[in-house]
Amino acid sequence: MSDVEDSNQKTPEENEGAEQPSKPSDSTAPAGEKVAKASEGEKPKTADPAATNSSDPTDGAKPPEAADAVAPSKPASAAKPAAAAKPAAGAKAAAAGAERPARAAKAAAPPDPRIEAAKETAEKVKATLVAELGETAVEETGAAHLNPMVRIKRDFWPQAVELLKNHADWQLNYIECMAGTDYPEYIEVVIYIQSTNLGHFICLKTRTPRDRAQIPSIVSIHPGVNWEEREIYDLLGVHFTNHPDLRRIMMWEGFKGHPLRKDYSEWDGGEENGAH
Amino acid sequence: MWNWSGASHLTWLNGLAMLIGTVIVLLLALGVVTYTIYAQRKILGWMQGRIGPNRLGPFGLMQTIADILKLLIKEDIIPEKADRSLFLLAPILAFVPSFMVLSVIPFSRTHVFTANISIGLLFYIALSAITIHGVMLGGWASNNKYALIGGMRSAAQMLSYEVPLGMSVLGVALMAGSLNLNTIVMSQHTGWWNIVPQFLGFCIFLVASTAELNRTPFDLPEAESELIAGYHIEYSGFRMAFFMLTEYVYLFAMAALCATLFLGGWSGPFLPGWLWFAIKVFAFIFFQFWIQNTMPRIRADHLMSFSWKVLLPLSLFNIVLTAVFKTIV
Amino acid sequence: MALTDEAQSIRTEEMILNVGPQHPSTHGVFRLVVKISGETIIEAEPVIGYLHRGTEKLAEDLQYTQIIPYTDRLDYVSAMINNYALCHTVERALDLEIPERAEYLRIITMELQRVASHLLAVGSYLLDLGAMSPFLYVFQERERIVQMFNELCGARLTYNYMRVGGVKWDAPPGWIDQVRDFIPFMRKKLKMYDDLITGNEIFLSRVRGIGVFNTETALAYGLSGINLRSTGFDWDLRKKKPYSIYNRFDFEVPLGKNGDCFDRYILHMQEMEQSLRIVEQAVEQFPSSGPVLGKVPKMVRVPAGEYYSGIEGTRGELGFYIVSEGKDKPYRMKIRKPSFVNLQLLPELLKGQSMANLIAILGAVDIVLGEVDA
Repeated sequence: MSDVEDSNQKTPEENEGAEQPSKPSDSTAPAGEKVAKASEGEKPKTADPAATNSSDPTDGAKPPEAADAVAPSKPASAAKPAAAAKPAAGAKAAAAGAERPARAAKAAAPPDPRIEAAKETAEKVKATLVAELGETAVEETGAAHLNPMVRIKRDFWPQAVELLKNHADWQLNYIECMAGTDYPEYIEVVIYIQSTNLGHFICLKTRTPRDRAQIPSIVSIHPGVNWEEREIYDLLGVHFTNHPDLRRIMMWEGFKGHPLRKDYSEWDGGEENGAH
Repeated sequence: MWNWSGASHLTWLNGLAMLIGTVIVLLLALGVVTYTIYAQRKILGWMQGRIGPNRLGPFGLMQTIADILKLLIKEDIIPEKADRSLFLLAPILAFVPSFMVLSVIPFSRTHVFTANISIGLLFYIALSAITIHGVMLGGWASNNKYALIGGMRSAAQMLSYEVPLGMSVLGVALMAGSLNLNTIVMSQHTGWWNIVPQFLGFCIFLVASTAELNRTPFDLPEAESELIAGYHIEYSGFRMAFFMLTEYVYLFAMAALCATLFLGGWSGPFLPGWLWFAIKVFAFIFFQFWIQNTMPRIRADHLMSFSWKVLLPLSLFNIVLTAVFKTIV
Repeated sequence: MALTDEAQSIRTEEMILNVGPQHPSTHGVFRLVVKISGETIIEAEPVIGYLHRGTEKLAEDLQYTQIIPYTDRLDYVSAMINNYALCHTVERALDLEIPERAEYLRIITMELQRVASHLLAVGSYLLDLGAMSPFLYVFQERERIVQMFNELCGARLTYNYMRVGGVKWDAPPGWIDQVRDFIPFMRKKLKMYDDLITGNEIFLSRVRGIGVFNTETALAYGLSGINLRSTGFDWDLRKKKPYSIYNRFDFEVPLGKNGDCFDRYILHMQEMEQSLRIVEQAVEQFPSSGPVLGKVPKMVRVPAGEYYSGIEGTRGELGFYIVSEGKDKPYRMKIRKPSFVNLQLLPELLKGQSMANLIAILGAVDIVLGEVDA
């Protein structure tokens, strides 16, 4: 752990403050706590930009407006520690400061050709889907890091997956990963799907509102997601319609709440959850 | 000392000698079982690159005794839903015949313990079949699904291997012209050991006896990875010790039977008879441990078809062969 | 005449048998509710979650480096590979350069880990089938690997060795020689296992033609790793989506023919040979000096976005899906657990089989409950 990027901006104390959390065994050390507190304290200020950021996290290249949105809050958070000169908060600010120019540089740099290629592929997927299912089927295209990303409207989810599985140009027949994520405004379900013949590797996603979250199941098309959907149902509370066997899988029957939701509190379940 | 070949009338003195003999056999069997278990653990350990028991006493010699004591003082649990009377009866039913069969085994040329009955071989086979009832009852009375499956498997397996076992020893009986185990040994003492003229019968006996003893690769009734412990899963304390005892007494008895029928019993040059007998018995037991160490478990349906489709025809063929051989020679 | 009717047809009843959660051959706390008629399985339903520790939820409150020890505890017999899978995902997100020496150390440890894990898989599979010795034998060879890992990172099971950007510790002097000596030793032992097990008639009769599925089923169920390759489908992420420096090594991907339990067993054996080949080449090419940790910021911050990358774990595709807000902790981390996905096919495989085959099939699917439940 001897190499430090941008170490010129940091005092020794800052270095220490930044180093502590990277040692898992020392996570309860005072310095680590300070960092945690500092980042917590900063949260309300950055909450808005974070929301805008995460509402569209799929856009692989950093959109300049996102970087701009973060910028206004920075001077405030950076100025305060500069006056107080608290080591931990200073480290945070320094790190943030170091990050900002890097981001700006990234935004200014020519776009990554891999991401551009991914976006092009995503457009092609969209064209296929739109041709069969209509304009409304696809909500968004882009890149999930280096992979093409297509966001499909919830109602068209199984049809789109089935279409891409059987379509001669795509043959997306092998789901590698299925995951659900709880965002502040919605829950997103994503599959990373592979065509073993053609080599495409595409990220498909769909969204559902958090209240009465509901997504049509794709188990009939890909039986391999049976348990994954059960897990998402269990931990995120997304109801998969037409699922053959939608029950909790990790938690026990009678458990209340969905632990992977961001607003889940372990005290909510009461006796039911603790009694077992 | 009293000799089985000399005495034909039961006198008080003979009766007393027999009683003493019984006690000696009982103690002998217990001692043999104790150290068979110890030997099993040591031999398996040696074959598997482990040490085996080595804590209690020199070389861990007291380990089995300590285990038995532990079992003795453990709580005797009877499951609430079990069939109580049968549950209590089963270990006894399994255990008693295992000791009784020892009464016909000729341990050496002159001793007090062997009943010189003319149907000794039949007596052994018949009594050992009673144990199946104990095992099956134990499985049934436990009111446990694993125990039930284990008991049923056990019954099916032991019944189907009883047949080739009985058939394989018939060749020996034909050779000696008698079912009396003493006569069989005497006939080998003067001529060839039966393993030579009855080699096929010996092979069948070896396989069938392994199955009869529920030992690897035929240890399905207590297949640990499937049925956890098989028929005695619900037993604890000394009742479970009884089942274990039965198993190992049978191992000893079967080894003794094998030595008697095929390896010439106590007969052999230079060494005293009892030592020859012990060596032969140990060879059989060692062979069992060796197999246990080498083989995976055979599957239930393969086990059945192997008995009825391979062993039984072979043993019938062996009987015919022996009969023809006897007529010609 | 009801009485005679009843006497003529023996009434049979289906029985529900609970295999587990505490059962010797479920390899942990795994429960299987099987409905049997006699000894034939009519229906089987796996029940999991007994070892659920909420790793994904825990990770949301941990920095990336702090998550690494948690990955050790997923598939606890191949902790090195789990370590790597997480670091790999983060490194790809950060577009990090990894020092040569670190890459080689990673390859060597990962492939040795694969050997150790496969050894254990084969050993415990045979234990399930009733052969006691192989299980104890494999621990002797595994011990040498574990000892080497111990020298490298001070732990025998949960290594916590990899870091984002490299590895934590450099190899101590003489360590590479130990690895070099281990390769011929292990080859000799593999030959021994082959002689001992592969030809055994009883073993063959228990695994040949048992638990068969074809490539289509395997792909539909998302199977990966040996379970997928046993059907003859060439899918090894080390070849298909090369990561780390696997493209520098010459090795083959062993494939099965029939997709039965025997193929799954023999692939374990063949993959160990291939892993040894990789280790052998890596030891030859091992750079004599250099850093083992790249230029990584003290606080690893993954840029906002979402990332998925999978690697070829011992039991299949092990992947990490990370959603980041640009902070030092993931917003959401999802683990693509190969055992979890592979296990789904089990009920299909068990239908109509006998109880004895249950163990043979479950063992060949080769699950680790720490990973299934995460």
